[in-house]
Amino acid sequence: MATVSETTLVAPQNESGTKWWTRFLDPSERTLAVLLLMPAALLLTLIIVYPVCRLIWTSFQNLSLTSGLPATFAGLENYSLMLDDPVFWETTRNTVLITLITVPGALFVGLALALMANLPFNVKWPVRLSLLIPWALPLSFAGLIFAWFFHSEYGVVNDVLRRLGIEGVIWFNSANWAFAAICLTIIWKTSSFMALIILAGLQTIPRSLYEAADVDGAGRLRQFFEITLPLLKPAIVVALIFRTITALQTFDIPFTMTRGGPGTSTATLAMYIHQNTVDFLDLGYGSALAVVMFALSMAVTAVYLRMIRAKG
Amino acid sequence: MTLKTTMTLLLAGAAMTLSASAATAQTNLRVFVSSQHRPDVWRKAFDMYEAKNANVKVTIETGGNTSEQQAQYLNTVMTAKDPSLDIMILDVIRPAQYAAAGWTVPFNDVLGNDAASAMKRYLPAYAEANTVDGKVVALPAFADAMFLYYRKDLLEKHGIQPPQTWGELAAAAKKVTEAEKDPNLQGLSFQGKAIEGAVCTFLLPYWSMGKQLVSDGKLSFDKEAAVKSLKLWKDFVDQGVAKKNIAEVATDDTRKEFQAGNVLFAVNWSYAWGQFQGAESAVKDKVGVVKLPAVQGGQPASCLGGWEWGVSAYSNNKTEAQKFVQYLSSPEVSEFMAINAALLPQFPEVYTDADVTKAVPWFANARPVVETAKARPVTPRYNEVSEIIRTTVNGVLAGQSTPEEGATQMEGRLRRVLR
Repeated sequence: MATVSETTLVAPQNESGTKWWTRFLDPSERTLAVLLLMPAALLLTLIIVYPVCRLIWTSFQNLSLTSGLPATFAGLENYSLMLDDPVFWETTRNTVLITLITVPGALFVGLALALMANLPFNVKWPVRLSLLIPWALPLSFAGLIFAWFFHSEYGVVNDVLRRLGIEGVIWFNSANWAFAAICLTIIWKTSSFMALIILAGLQTIPRSLYEAADVDGAGRLRQFFEITLPLLKPAIVVALIFRTITALQTFDIPFTMTRGGPGTSTATLAMYIHQNTVDFLDLGYGSALAVVMFALSMAVTAVYLRMIRAKG
Repeated sequence: MTLKTTMTLLLAGAAMTLSASAATAQTNLRVFVSSQHRPDVWRKAFDMYEAKNANVKVTIETGGNTSEQQAQYLNTVMTAKDPSLDIMILDVIRPAQYAAAGWTVPFNDVLGNDAASAMKRYLPAYAEANTVDGKVVALPAFADAMFLYYRKDLLEKHGIQPPQTWGELAAAAKKVTEAEKDPNLQGLSFQGKAIEGAVCTFLLPYWSMGKQLVSDGKLSFDKEAAVKSLKLWKDFVDQGVAKKNIAEVATDDTRKEFQAGNVLFAVNWSYAWGQFQGAESAVKDKVGVVKLPAVQGGQPASCLGGWEWGVSAYSNNKTEAQKFVQYLSSPEVSEFMAINAALLPQFPEVYTDADVTKAVPWFANARPVVETAKARPVTPRYNEVSEIIRTTVNGVLAGQSTPEEGATQMEGRLRRVLR
């Protein structure tokens, strides 16, 4: 009896043990899916979910590393400070303006570049290479290079203007010209990215469509609007999403070209966040600003996603 | 060689190494020195200390070429509680900030019971800048102030005395530039770029009108004086006394343009003097230096500069580091740096030292300027105060806003920070 009871006592434990193990040794499709997704999910939690939650939490705190005081809960104080902070409004306005100007700007220039690169050249690589170079250049390099181009005394832009008999302007001495110089630089820098994606889209359009259009007697312009543009739409939307989100986060080019000057007239929201967190070590206020920028990016992404879904 | 002798030799060798390392428990001190303040000459001062203290080895770290860039780097080191830096040189505006953040160790223990009397040896402004609530938070490395540099040859040629007021300066600049007919000659160069120097640009006439920005930790902003100060500089641009793109000019641009012979008057720190006398200077022996002009009916005012040695709160060698800083902040090192690097002394008596006056004769005239120079506001949130002032000055000079608008913005933003 005793032995029997012993075995009966041990057996269920063993059984449950094997059950626990067998699930992983011979997993169902569902368990396998969970297992395989686990590392990625954990990594995402660690590098995205946790920092975002921490950021939102810090935005409700009074946390300044220069004060030497520990963090205290501040409620919505950082957000209410933001509402009557003129620099916050100015940098937000600049960020939105840069987005509204450079995204369509880069789209048009990028489209033109892609169409040119798609022409039947005998040797393709120089064209492709020149398309790639602005894209491959680090943003801050582009900013520093163009800061020299636009320098009022030693810059190539004013030199060319002078040779043409036009009196150049002191670009970085005026809010509007400095803003224009920054927008031109951003368009130059980012249109090649647009062009690359659009070029990939162009190459998926079958030649036969154009041949058929030729037979039907459609002109070049008609072909562009009736065939090329509609079939490019998916590529253009993808390019626009990426470009808009990076435009909202514009930092490197104005930072290296003007440092936000003159005054704060070319500072962007991302630069203001950097200034508050890195220069002033005011992590509470900086986090609140970052939360606003995060919300702005999410809103724009949501609008695009809805556009894609509506199309689909 | 037998096994026995080999073993004996090995043992003896091991014993010697052990005893040697025991006798000199080596301390490695890592010191951050600003790249614009002659780290090569500081190295010599460090070598003299190493020669006397065999157990201490000092390494220099340097980087960034403006005060802001260096502060940015040190900010990251300190917020990371990184123990790799033991000692750092700090711009005079920073010891109070660092003390408030708990990044430096006070010197009160090593200075003995009477820290206050130890600090009395220094020029009063430096004793004040380095003492926070009775704690000595850093020790002065060297002094500095802003001066008016002028072209001695050109003023003599046109029979003009160095100006006492900003109005006289404008008149003198117009007279000389009109007579010289040199399109490259600027009347006055100062700092209009949004850098730390632009804070002083704003404060010079503001102080000259007898106004303070902060009193007893509270904002004491005088809007009328602020408008006048911004207007003074903007008028220089509008009247053609200063060049149109002065909003792009940083401290070293002023120095370079004056050194190239393109500037009649320049507002700059003491470091420029040594460079003007250098071999590649176009104005060698043609430069005069005096105290800065005053506003009409006001007192002349200069901006207090200078740098201080602080010991990191995260250093693993605090005691050795403090001992070393006491040496660095001594009259002997001050004299050495004055003679070899033309850094202004933080001790009043070193200015009149025979060796110093022989090497840098103009130091005798510099002392009253340094003694009357005013300190920028002392507040833990100085970085924000500085940013507000310099971007406003920059915006007004670029014509982005009027002096009135600038002063209103400045007041509104300063109230938020110093609330």
